[in-house]
Amino acid sequence: MTGLTIAIAFAASCVTFACPLLLASLGETIVERGGILNLGIEGAMLIGAFSGFLGAYFTGILWVGLLTAMIGGIASVLLFGVLVVRFNLDQVVSGLAINLLASGVALYFLRVAFPGGGYPHLNFLFQPFAVPLLSQIPVVGPIVFNQPGFFYLAIVLVPIVFYLIYRTTFGLRLRSVGEDPRIASYVGINVSRIRYTSLVLEGALVGLAGAFVTLSQFNTFDTRLTTGLGFIAVSIVILGRWNPAGALIASLIFGSTEALSFWGTAFLTGPQASSLAQLLTILPYVTTLVALVVGGRMSKGPSALGAPYAKE
Amino acid sequence: MEQETQAQTQTSASPAPAPTPSSATAPDPAQPLSRGILSRSRLRSIYKAAISILLALVVTSVLFIITGANPLVAYYYMFYGAFGNTNFLIETLVRMSPILLVSLGLGIAFKCKVWNIGAEGQLYIGAFLGAETAIFFGNSPLALPASIVLAILGGMGWAAIPALMKTQLGINEVITTFLMNFVAIDLVTWFVSYPFRSTTADFPQSATIPASAMLPILIPHTRFHLGIAIALLAALPLVYFLMAKTTFGYKLRVVGENPEAAKYGGINVKKTIFLALIISGALAGLAGLFEVEGIQFSVMTSLSPGYGYTGIAVALLGGNNPIGILLSSFFLAGIYNGSVNVSIQLGQPSGIVSFIQGVLIIFVLGSEYIMRFLERKGVFKR
Repeated sequence: MTGLTIAIAFAASCVTFACPLLLASLGETIVERGGILNLGIEGAMLIGAFSGFLGAYFTGILWVGLLTAMIGGIASVLLFGVLVVRFNLDQVVSGLAINLLASGVALYFLRVAFPGGGYPHLNFLFQPFAVPLLSQIPVVGPIVFNQPGFFYLAIVLVPIVFYLIYRTTFGLRLRSVGEDPRIASYVGINVSRIRYTSLVLEGALVGLAGAFVTLSQFNTFDTRLTTGLGFIAVSIVILGRWNPAGALIASLIFGSTEALSFWGTAFLTGPQASSLAQLLTILPYVTTLVALVVGGRMSKGPSALGAPYAKE
Repeated sequence: MEQETQAQTQTSASPAPAPTPSSATAPDPAQPLSRGILSRSRLRSIYKAAISILLALVVTSVLFIITGANPLVAYYYMFYGAFGNTNFLIETLVRMSPILLVSLGLGIAFKCKVWNIGAEGQLYIGAFLGAETAIFFGNSPLALPASIVLAILGGMGWAAIPALMKTQLGINEVITTFLMNFVAIDLVTWFVSYPFRSTTADFPQSATIPASAMLPILIPHTRFHLGIAIALLAALPLVYFLMAKTTFGYKLRVVGENPEAAKYGGINVKKTIFLALIISGALAGLAGLFEVEGIQFSVMTSLSPGYGYTGIAVALLGGNNPIGILLSSFFLAGIYNGSVNVSIQLGQPSGIVSFIQGVLIIFVLGSEYIMRFLERKGVFKR
């Protein structure tokens, strides 16, 4: 492979890695605009990846996997929603509980579904789809227009979510609930309904993000595949200033760091190569932390984010 | 320190009145001033914990039913594997020690509402730094004390990073502490795979620590080592003293219940939060070191099965109270060891431990609701 081919393949991989982060952070942007901090997104993505894999594996139909992933994502996020909306429990701790619960469910039912041990594989995947004509553009074509359908969906969702938040009645209500649920409730907005709606949307998006990991990016399921992605998505929301466009940019940056740590072995040569490649695994997390220091301090989220709200 | 004795009265979740240095917190009118070991409020929190545990076990039995196992039989094996005979009981104490140390620290952090979920990483860093210090000192009597100091400093230093990010830049510590777990575990994995790798072992692990740094076994023919005694007889009373008898413990409570009031009352909120986080890091680092020096004798990549996360469930179940934490860490250590026995006896898959912890946290959080519901129904007296 020539240098350019490798560079193009790497850039395409950066975009691919950005895809689940973008889907998840769009979902998290919606719920955080409504004042809910969902750290259970980590567990919801795991359940999405797992239920999607099971659905596709046992029916042999990828689209069924997509559906079950969304159902799994919605179920996990709604469980979280019931805890924090209906019972007004602490959002941070409830999110952590969902994560623990999700990893327990995934570990347990992986062995229930595949008692033999080992890791089952899918022999079919959502393959990259070359957009006619556009994929022929030199350099840009193979990077951006030869991606799995998930990617095009995520890109299309950026303006849609933007429109939803800033240009619709639902978005207006969502934002007012996120700024001050009490006042929103006084003017007649049904805070719980708005928040549940946003959570269902997030669940579907996070489920899709999980499905991308097991049905397109990798062809197997392991509880470690999605580890940390949920928390990186939460960081992306902060760095993207609770704005879908910001989430797109931040997702591409973090996708690149993940691609870099994944590609480390291919780039590095010499006696220290394997050592350095392993060290690169910390890159996405370190980048996130550094980015939070640099960019996180100025950004201010919705006023009522994470705050308890009991209906009077 | 002397004017704070009133603050021992357990305060409820109601916002604390603005404190002044001389008056401490006013006692909550809903809770009488009884100071007995089983005052009403304390009895009530014991009921709440018991109900949470019971409900968590009931929900978890669904897992057993799905796989065709009888939940009662499963719980019998779990109980037996945890507490069934002297050996199992001592093994549960061995398991309890790191969980206790981690959750005592988390109790301090959670008391002032600082959500340190980075104990897992602090544990790895403390263990690695401490173990390498011991290896550096070799067979000298200094190896053990020096390794303890470095493990504490390592855990503290690792926690200081998110602590500074929180207090100086206002960045949510939940995200930073969690992300730093990955950095810590991957770093330690890299250290023991490359620069500090043992030259003799087949798998990536550090060199073996010198005999002088191995914690002596206190009960012959078991793994009950000195670290367990230190956790029970030094760390536990120290944390109890810190939380119940010092100005710092009082500040923790006020900052946790009402940071605004704390600020008006002249408490340095940022400093309190910073200290709470690094103290919890120190205890996590110590927990990691004792696992190496008492059990494993070299740093392995599989050092902890998630004690840092278990500590969260334990601290919450124990109401962030050292005695409660002691009981709940014993209980969760039993769940760990008991689950191993269930897996062996009934061929149950792993994952039960995480599952129980998740469900347990949910019920602990919701226990106030459940308790009020039961009180309305007259099951418990109001």
